[in-house]
Amino acid sequence: MLTEKILFYVFAAILIFAASMVVTVRHSVRAALFLVLAFFTAAGLWLMLHAEFLAIVLVLVYVGAVMVLFLFVVMSVDLDQGRLREGFGRHMPVGLLVAGVVIAEMVSILSIDQLAIVAPESATVAVNNVEAVGQLLYRQYIYPVEIASVILLVGIIAAISMTLRGRRQSRYIAPAEQLAANKRDRLRVVDLREPASTDSSAESKGDDN
Amino acid sequence: MEFSTQELIPVLPEITLLVMASVVLLVDLFAPGKERVGTYTTSMLALALTALVSVYSYQGEQLVFAGHHQSDGLSLVLKLAMVIAVAVVFLYGRGYLAVRGLLNGEFFTLSLFGLLGMMIIASAGSLLSLYLGLETLSLSLYALVGFDRRSVASSEAAIKYFILGALASGVLLYGISILYGVTGTIQTAAMQMEIQAVLTSAGQYQMLLGLGVVFVVVGAAFKLGAAPFHMWLPDIYEGSPTAVTNYLGTASKLAAIALVLRLFADVLQPLIHQWQPMLMLLAVASLAVGNIIAIAQTNFKRMLAYSAISHMGFVLLGVLVGTGAGYSASLFYMITYAITGLAAFGLIMLLSRLGFEAENLVDFKGLAQRSPLMGLVVLLVMFSMAGVPPTVGFFAKLAVIDAVIEQGFAWIAVVAVLFSVIGAFYYLRVVKLVFFDGVEDPSPLVSSWDERFVLVLNGLFVLVLGLFPGKLLEICNQVFTGL
Amino acid sequence: MSDIKTICSIIAFAPLVGAILAGMGGRIIGRAGAHTVTIAGVGISCLLSIRLLMDLLATTATGEPVVYNETLYTWLESGGLTLQIGFLIDQLSATMMVVVTFVSLMVHVYTIGYMRDDPGYQRFFSYISLFTFAMLMLVMANNFVQLFFGWEGVGLVSYLLIGFWYTRDSAIFANMKAFLVNRVGDMGMVLGIAAVAYLFGSLDFATVFADPAAHSETTFQILNGEPWSAITVTCVLLFIGAMAKSAQFPLHVWLPDSMEGPTPISALIHAATMVTAGIFLLARTSPLFELSETALSFVMIIGAITALFMGFLGIVQNDIKRVIAYSTLSQLGYMTVALGASAYAAGIFHLTTHAFFKALLFLAAGSVIIAMHHEQDMRKMGGLRKYMPITYLTCLIGTLALVGFPGLAGFFSKDAIIEAVKYSELPGADFAYLAVLAGVFVTSLYSFRLLFLVFHGKERMDDHTREHLHETPLVVTGPLMALAVPSVVIGALAIEPMLFGNFFGDSIFVLPGHDVLQGLQSHWHGALQFALHGFTQIPFLLMLAGLAAAWVLYRQKPELPGLFTDKLAWLHRVLLNKYYLDDFNQTVFAGGLRGIGQFFWRIGDVALIDGLLVNGSARAVGAFAGVLRHIQTGYLYHYAFAMMIGLMVLMSMLWFVIQ
Repeated sequence: MLTEKILFYVFAAILIFAASMVVTVRHSVRAALFLVLAFFTAAGLWLMLHAEFLAIVLVLVYVGAVMVLFLFVVMSVDLDQGRLREGFGRHMPVGLLVAGVVIAEMVSILSIDQLAIVAPESATVAVNNVEAVGQLLYRQYIYPVEIASVILLVGIIAAISMTLRGRRQSRYIAPAEQLAANKRDRLRVVDLREPASTDSSAESKGDDN
Repeated sequence: MEFSTQELIPVLPEITLLVMASVVLLVDLFAPGKERVGTYTTSMLALALTALVSVYSYQGEQLVFAGHHQSDGLSLVLKLAMVIAVAVVFLYGRGYLAVRGLLNGEFFTLSLFGLLGMMIIASAGSLLSLYLGLETLSLSLYALVGFDRRSVASSEAAIKYFILGALASGVLLYGISILYGVTGTIQTAAMQMEIQAVLTSAGQYQMLLGLGVVFVVVGAAFKLGAAPFHMWLPDIYEGSPTAVTNYLGTASKLAAIALVLRLFADVLQPLIHQWQPMLMLLAVASLAVGNIIAIAQTNFKRMLAYSAISHMGFVLLGVLVGTGAGYSASLFYMITYAITGLAAFGLIMLLSRLGFEAENLVDFKGLAQRSPLMGLVVLLVMFSMAGVPPTVGFFAKLAVIDAVIEQGFAWIAVVAVLFSVIGAFYYLRVVKLVFFDGVEDPSPLVSSWDERFVLVLNGLFVLVLGLFPGKLLEICNQVFTGL
Repeated sequence: MSDIKTICSIIAFAPLVGAILAGMGGRIIGRAGAHTVTIAGVGISCLLSIRLLMDLLATTATGEPVVYNETLYTWLESGGLTLQIGFLIDQLSATMMVVVTFVSLMVHVYTIGYMRDDPGYQRFFSYISLFTFAMLMLVMANNFVQLFFGWEGVGLVSYLLIGFWYTRDSAIFANMKAFLVNRVGDMGMVLGIAAVAYLFGSLDFATVFADPAAHSETTFQILNGEPWSAITVTCVLLFIGAMAKSAQFPLHVWLPDSMEGPTPISALIHAATMVTAGIFLLARTSPLFELSETALSFVMIIGAITALFMGFLGIVQNDIKRVIAYSTLSQLGYMTVALGASAYAAGIFHLTTHAFFKALLFLAAGSVIIAMHHEQDMRKMGGLRKYMPITYLTCLIGTLALVGFPGLAGFFSKDAIIEAVKYSELPGADFAYLAVLAGVFVTSLYSFRLLFLVFHGKERMDDHTREHLHETPLVVTGPLMALAVPSVVIGALAIEPMLFGNFFGDSIFVLPGHDVLQGLQSHWHGALQFALHGFTQIPFLLMLAGLAAAWVLYRQKPELPGLFTDKLAWLHRVLLNKYYLDDFNQTVFAGGLRGIGQFFWRIGDVALIDGLLVNGSARAVGAFAGVLRHIQTGYLYHYAFAMMIGLMVLMSMLWFVIQ
């Protein structure tokens, strides 16, 4: 029991630390890396609750796929850190004030209700973790899951419509056209052996008329 | 939980729309051309089918999919109103976008998916489906707002909308998760009962519920565009292509009222003593901010944005009363506002032409001389928004004020009327520009006959509904008779 | 009768459709199209109305009258008050519908001839069809609000039609006058309706009339705490509305001036139908009036004053239409007297007969006016009998009916009223009886004066007019002949069922103690007996006296009237100036109000309200708006920050709310 408690507090402390670093750290790549750390510790917490499937999914999907993609984007975009911080000092006190009031209110509200916080029960071993999630997702929550899939579809359409510049404007290679290219279309053999002056003079005369 | 195919019937409208939207997506691939005739026709067909299916698949109140989907009178009325609004948006928008080379298939598909999101909100049986529907709608809207990529204003509006919208969504989700945490359920009916139980049992967790309510109110107020969460509205209205503004200002407002009613009239009804004063503040602030700042506007779209904020104040007034009469008054108000708004934005589009946006107030000078019919439509729309009888806007305001007074909030009614009087100033200024000022831009009006026909019909509808508001009022009342 | 709802809707809306087509599409469908659609619309209404009345009479005969009362459309529900559009078809409204649509149809046909050369042809047809629609809505209403809608509708069309020739200053003055005077009445009407809504909590006829006696003891505190009987106040207010519409003294001043409108209008609106709306209103609200003897007495005295004194004015008029207009006023007075005496049936009976013969007289006058090239001065006419035989004959019938020659329509209805008043025991009944008796003499005098001046004697018109004198075409004479028939027979046919039978059923309510017609019935031995008996009665003798006087004055000794005017110059002047009522209104009301308006405009409006309140607050709001718009900086983080502040405020609110 004690080791579990110690583990919990370690994970929780790292999670809070990492999360606050995400929003405060100056460099966006570092922020992303802290986010990865946060995900790892969250996965650790889930593992302790015997939610192995969720933990693994979190690591695999978020850390393995989403965050890597995100890092690519962050690294390939040139962000002017200096401009982002403009006026930070000026707005800081007001922001802190509001944040302080909100936090104070939330804390005082939460302290009124004597929250009987019960430690979440870890899943019973008898139930297969994956099966339980599957049961929930594809039975009770099938409708929200379907809607979520629609959201993904909309996301795809939105992303494409925002970024796709249309085929005509971009340079691209059409192999079919390349293959169909003919020597006669591309090449004009000019005979340089004979002087072409007579021809050109005749043409210019024709133009004058 | 055993699944039966019977459960699919109430969800048929959503299924139809999803399938048809996907078909539109495919059709658009194979039906190119500047006019997008194929896409347009299929989209209209999709809307017609959805409306038909909505009506004919309706079997009274039903909860399916483990309570995540709820179909009742409210959802039916709202769905039909949304579908019709989107159809009119397409009608007005097509010519306008085509002239500017903006008529992409995405306009139609994203609008249709947005509509799907609205419909999911309208018949959300749980806060989860409510939230997901909202996200479907919002995601489509972000893309729609910014889909004129050549325009800096459009992109700026999209970014602003996206970030603020995400912030609001986060706040809303936070609120929902608090409510979920306290009640342990996500379905609306069960959650309402749990909240009732919390309230009756010695009041533990009351404050926590209140915290959830605050976040939910903020999220809903943002989507509605009520002050002080309104700041995004004018910029986004102005920046988006007018066809999208039309969608945003009318159809998505119907989704907003659906969201508000599902949240406050269903789930949070027992907590009325908590959210009532908050909505009161929001309503009065919206009325004040909307009506007063609108006076200083020179851009017609911006003016309409502030006018929308003030109208949301009225809608909130009806909601905060917390009675069936109040809810139905709000519903009536929003539906009629959407009808009026459609005509207002339609006017801008019909008056515009390539390289010229008729979005400034001065562009309306002497319109009655250029086209008496358009002048008449302006008159009707402005009168309705100002609440002048016999247009429908009068009855909408009357119904709300009636409901408010019935619950003893006479001072709010006085405030609402006062700000309406201030608001009448800028509406009547438009009428004055149209009828009494000289023509500044004598160029002929170019618009296709079907657009003009629908616009005049739309304008007259504002009048006819004002003369015969009984049927719609009755429908709106029936939706809430159960309460 | 299952499709009665459809029939009613068609009756009411067919004229509206005609009006819209002729008004909006007048340029497209042309003149012929305009009169075709409107006549078709009114014709359909007329036929269906007759059928409805027949059905109703058939079921009345079986003792089980089928009264139709149904709501078509709920217009608005607000604060427990339901405003609906619905139809109440009982004997009363069915009678009115037939009268209205029949006269309207005749006038439509007549107009083809009368307005042939007028540039506003389509507009005119649109107006009269619109009028028919509004009038039908009025009589078919099953609640006060719809009745008021029709009431205002006919008032509006009347306004438009009096000023139909809007380039004439006198027409504009007349229609403004009609409009303003009717506003005075409408104020009473609206207050009356409000009183009904306040008392009964409903505006539906059926609900209100179900048990009005329950409120007979209710009082209103109006001025200095004096209790007023609620029913009396309500009835008097409603009657004030009726006074303006039915041109009762002293709100009658607009009706003579309304003759500025085209003659078909004078026949349709200002003689046969619209002006009788007040009479209809009182008959419809008879269950209320029956409860207040004060109100009934008031009604009777006003009616008696109108009946007698307006008749005097007819004697000195020289404009052919104005003479008939004053005659209308006088006859409306008769109807009002009948209502005051609780003889509602007699009032409606007279309304019906009057509609036919007065429309006939007006249309005949119009026929004369056409022939005289729009000359209306009787001093420039004379001897028209031989040029226009049909017009003369029909006009003669109309005149005989009007003066109450035994056997003709007017005789039955007018004698019934006179007899009814005799039996009335209300305060003022004696005065009313004398007034209506004297009125018979006066009526006879001015009616025969008109007849003699126009159709007999020397031809006083100029030569050019005389050369072109000829009978008017069939579209004009046709309606004259069609109206002449009921003017003769309707009285004899309808008197028995209407007055003594069970014709009106439950649509009119009379307290047993007030039932004067009961007294009349005891002497009733059939229409023929009644007519024969009439030859021996005082009214007949008075009528003969009037005829004789007219004969002497305008046929035998035409110089006599001039002598009278010289000798009794002051009386003549008073009559010519219509008892100086117009001047009084002009100087005291119009002038006084203008003065007060001027005062308030300068001091109150310009200085205080416009200067300080409106412009001042507008400037303040404008300045405030200018400041506020700067909050909208366009910066994303400002917006987000505003949201956070909003969140903070709401959260603080929660703190206070829950505490």
